[in-house]
Amino acid sequence: MTTALTTGSGLDAETRELLAGSLRELLAAHTDAASIAAALAELGWDEVWAGDPATATTLLFTEHGRALATSRVLDDVLLAELAPALPAPTGPRAVLYPHPADKGDLVACGAPLRGLLLGRLDGVAEVVVPAVDADSAVLLVVPAAKFADATAPTGGFDPQSGWLAVARGPVPDGISPVRAADAWTRAQAAGRRALATEIAGVCEAALALATAHTAARWQYGRPIASFQAVRHRLAEAHVAVVAARTTVEAAWAMAGEPDGGAWAARIAKLRAGRAQADVLRHTVQVLGAMSLTLESEMHRFVTRAAALDALLGDHLSLAEATGTELLTGTEPHPVVEI
Amino acid sequence: MTGPATTGRPDGAEHKARPFVTDLDAYRAALRAYLTSEPSLNRWRDRHYDSVEERIADHAVLMGGLYRGRWNRYGWPEEAGGLGGDPRHRAVLYDELSAAGLPVPDPHLVLETLGPAVLRFAPELAAEHLPAFLRGEEWWGQGFSEPEAGSDLAALRCRARRDGDRYVLSGQKLWTSHGATATRLVCLVRTGTPESRHRGLSMIMVDAAAPGVTIRPVALASGDNELAEVFFDDVEVPASRLVGAEGQGWAVAMYLLQYERAMYAWQSAAVALRRLRELRKQLRTRLAAGGGLPDGARRRLGDCYADIVTLRARSADTVRRLAAGQAVGPEASVDKVLLATAETGLHDLARDLLGADFLFGAAPQAAQWRADWWYSRAATILGGSAEVQRTILADHVLGLPKEPKA
Repeated sequence: MTTALTTGSGLDAETRELLAGSLRELLAAHTDAASIAAALAELGWDEVWAGDPATATTLLFTEHGRALATSRVLDDVLLAELAPALPAPTGPRAVLYPHPADKGDLVACGAPLRGLLLGRLDGVAEVVVPAVDADSAVLLVVPAAKFADATAPTGGFDPQSGWLAVARGPVPDGISPVRAADAWTRAQAAGRRALATEIAGVCEAALALATAHTAARWQYGRPIASFQAVRHRLAEAHVAVVAARTTVEAAWAMAGEPDGGAWAARIAKLRAGRAQADVLRHTVQVLGAMSLTLESEMHRFVTRAAALDALLGDHLSLAEATGTELLTGTEPHPVVEI
Repeated sequence: MTGPATTGRPDGAEHKARPFVTDLDAYRAALRAYLTSEPSLNRWRDRHYDSVEERIADHAVLMGGLYRGRWNRYGWPEEAGGLGGDPRHRAVLYDELSAAGLPVPDPHLVLETLGPAVLRFAPELAAEHLPAFLRGEEWWGQGFSEPEAGSDLAALRCRARRDGDRYVLSGQKLWTSHGATATRLVCLVRTGTPESRHRGLSMIMVDAAAPGVTIRPVALASGDNELAEVFFDDVEVPASRLVGAEGQGWAVAMYLLQYERAMYAWQSAAVALRRLRELRKQLRTRLAAGGGLPDGARRRLGDCYADIVTLRARSADTVRRLAAGQAVGPEASVDKVLLATAETGLHDLARDLLGADFLFGAAPQAAQWRADWWYSRAATILGGSAEVQRTILADHVLGLPKEPKA
């Protein structure tokens, strides 16, 4: 085992801070998926990524979460794992994510496609769809044009996500499934680490807002952050954020396993999903009525964190699945060694 | 009683080179091979005791065997009976013991909080007494709390008056872990004025057998004598028993707390994972016999496991920082909160899922879960309560406006 944190092994602290600053500026200046992608390309993000995927993912998704950005950078994370299993692309690709309502079940081969897209398919040639065929995960590469009339904005709790739902999509006739269960397992693991990081970023921004608000807001002649009940809620929120961050770091240490560190990545996603529930419960409370209004940003953190939790497995489903596996066979893996 | 056999390695062969000091993975591999293949260790597996006194004594025998096999000497310096290495070696020992289904010997729990501080602030006392501790021949209790000084430790009143080359102790300590059976007590005492708060404190090592020391066990609700109260009636202690200088007691206590919050958290995570495996086994047996589980059992099991993994991840980071010589500041309170979450969560889970077995079962496993459940409640109380930890985080990590003084 390496003693250094994996997320810190490639780039030194100063470089990381510089990159984080560049990403913050970039995400402040660009708000749609296409211009974020173009700006990242201009920054040379592919090289940073290739040099140190753990640090690059951690930096990008942290800032993405803090900025409440919407883009298709998560697609890139999954496609990096899926591409080796797939035929050469005919153009840019997107990913169709399993629909959260299906609780982790992949769509069956031959059935109408269902799921979530992270954004509009402008400029996209192919959509990669994880599906299930005879109890095994396969990948379908579907021309993007087939989704033309099948998408609708997800709306609902987080209307600003920019995500599109495919409720009853095209039946992928004449597309031969690619047997790629391992690639999907790795892609899902990578996606879960990225999402756990993004959720932690959202939580950190919400906690910073709550900390600033409670230090500035006076009641009974003193800042409300000097009341123990408020202080302890914020301390608990801090612990939850650190817990999420630490667990995803531990998951990175296992990313080199043949299955992409799938088990640890699931635990990290579970932990981050639970953290967002805990953190935002506290931050909403300490902002008082302000947090329920459109005048405060807090509601955006609440809804984005909830949406990110739902993607690739919400914390309740992941906990249920983990507990079930522990009871039916899997020994509790230590995940972390000294 | 005899301890486990030694490694069989000709003494001195590994002594000269000591590759384990620099090669943690080699140490881990050799230790794992020993713990999983040595038949004499089986007597400590699935072992239940009728009393705490019996348990500590039997664990001390295990310690003696680990000492003879040289295993628990890594991570401690040669001057104090060790073989070199750093806290990571100790962390590996606790983890591998737990992975092999063995207990972390009780005396090691207190050793981890008191040992590093005595080493740092009183090397000559460490040289004199730590080897016997590592051999399982003696163990120490930690005398901090008092009836009027629990969370507010700086209010403590147990007094040490300097008289020539000795101190004279008078007062009382309460909630002393392992106090009823300890050979020595490391106590935080007041050497300054009653109003001096944390500035007027000193740390001193007292022999439990010294004239004027009276020890009364305090039974937990389980009936187990896990704690004790200690009375000092003009007890004479040589000044050479000071840990750190007079008046430096608070600094020693703060140094010690780093280990109590980090290494103790790692130990607890290692033990919790073993206990989760044992709980899982009991639940699987029940399911195989056609029994059921309460609603939400699987989700809670998954969550509890995730909490233990989180505690492992966090405390491993902190142990590595300690091993690298970095000071661990107020952020160690995060470790303590995560420890309490995992520990109380695991035992509440066992209580709820085992149900009637937990409440009424006559088997030793049931009695063990009941006793452990009570002990798990201490996770949010001892070593700085849950409330104290949150206040430390609010003050020193989040930098929130302070609470007004009363």
